[in-house]
Amino acid sequence: MPHEHGSHHRDGAAPVVPVAGETDLVAPERRSWRGVWLRALSLLSLLLVWLVASLFFSPTVLPGPVQVVAAMVGNLGEPETYFHLWTTVYRVVAGMLIAVAAGLVIGLVMGLSKFGEEFLDSWVLVAFTVPSVVYGILAILWFGLNDVAAIVAIGVTAVPAVAINMWQGVKAIDLSLVRMGRAFHFSRGSILRKLVVPQVIPFLLAALRYALGLAWKIATVVELIGLSSGVGYQLGYWFGLFNMTQVLAWTILFTIVLLLIEFVILKPTEYWLTRWRPSVQN
Amino acid sequence: MIDGLDVAVEHGSLLSILGPSGCGKSTLLNMINGLDDVTSGRIVLNGHTVSARSRSAVRIGVVFQEPRLLPWRTVRDNVRLPLDELDVPRAEADRRVRHYLDLVGLGEFGDYFPLRLSGGMQQRVALARGLAIEPDLLLADEPFSALDEITARKLRQEFTDIWRATGRTILFVTHNIREAVFLSTRMLVVTARPCTTHLDIAIDVPYPRVPEDDRLFEIEKQVTRDFIRMEEGASADRRPEGAAV
Repeated sequence: MPHEHGSHHRDGAAPVVPVAGETDLVAPERRSWRGVWLRALSLLSLLLVWLVASLFFSPTVLPGPVQVVAAMVGNLGEPETYFHLWTTVYRVVAGMLIAVAAGLVIGLVMGLSKFGEEFLDSWVLVAFTVPSVVYGILAILWFGLNDVAAIVAIGVTAVPAVAINMWQGVKAIDLSLVRMGRAFHFSRGSILRKLVVPQVIPFLLAALRYALGLAWKIATVVELIGLSSGVGYQLGYWFGLFNMTQVLAWTILFTIVLLLIEFVILKPTEYWLTRWRPSVQN
Repeated sequence: MIDGLDVAVEHGSLLSILGPSGCGKSTLLNMINGLDDVTSGRIVLNGHTVSARSRSAVRIGVVFQEPRLLPWRTVRDNVRLPLDELDVPRAEADRRVRHYLDLVGLGEFGDYFPLRLSGGMQQRVALARGLAIEPDLLLADEPFSALDEITARKLRQEFTDIWRATGRTILFVTHNIREAVFLSTRMLVVTARPCTTHLDIAIDVPYPRVPEDDRLFEIEKQVTRDFIRMEEGASADRRPEGAAV
């Protein structure tokens, strides 16, 4: 069949079959600004509720948003604030590294071997159930009032979450792709690297996000219980003075840092790694 | 499972193997591809005996019932995947990817991700992938059976056109009589348990063929009659002998 496309592919073949057109495609994902507006609206209504509620209480119980934001801006002028924020972020990232490394190994072993699964699954579930404060207390008792205690507590708390996700991820691997690789005589390494690992990545991302959520919580708790730096320490300090405005100011500041990490690092990474997936929602 | 099956595929031919489900067609393809070992007998490709241990010197491409594309790789990178595995030089790999995507009519879709393509298009990508390694033998394992009939019909037509354009040797496994008759230069009808050749028919209808061709229809009718007789005979054989007394 003569076709215009044949001419501009000098090395290519003239198609012997009808050339496919846009009509054969599955509809692409539509991205709109509607989502952004809805989120902004949702945030705005929360602020409004807060504002109205604060009118009915004294500032020692519930200070208004204006007061809290003013305190937060004031804090941002002091170098000490950045030190505390950075300390907590550092502990969380270090703990996460431990959790990802250990969780990945445990999850893979459980997913790939029946023995591993039966040997480890109850322990992972127990570790997942134990309250993270317990890890915090134990870590402080064993390692003292220092960074190591915080990092270990964070790591241990997040390991089961990563392991469980990876375990499920390995089980969800599409084996027909592995059989395709065998049929084309791929090497074992290539099958693992090109066909198996990419299938597990979405599960790893989910594990990371979940573990991160846990890690922040346990980090602040450990800092509050026994350390003298970090966001948790600041929260404890202002709580001791019954300064509700500062407690909320630190909470919001820290939340903003978390959201920045989510939207500047995690979301774009996830979007890039899963860009091949058509959206389910449309 | 397979017993007394004697097949010879001529170079450049399109041979169909038609058989009921569960007669070991996939096992046969695996043995030819050197993935499963034969227990007795042997498989010879271009003068080399195939086994699971000795990787054959013969290059084999495969098209499956489902596309089996990597959804996270673009169409182009999917076709390139087996070429990288064979250490085909970069420039040559680029050329082949372009060539075979053009050949299956998807030259403009190299940058798309598979999940954006329709089922028929995905299967064409899979065909381009199987052809891009420029195989001595292309194994097709019911590649159109999961598609709707209209798409399958279009793809069958294209399949013979592509086969004639490339001159590859193709072994096509199917359980669809009409499909086997329409596509092949020669077809084998095999029986289930033991898997032996029941019919060996050369189909001397020139290409390009049209599905409505009366000669094809005649062959189809004849094969269908025979196929049904064979199935009934097989079920009669399976009756336990003691029960007749």
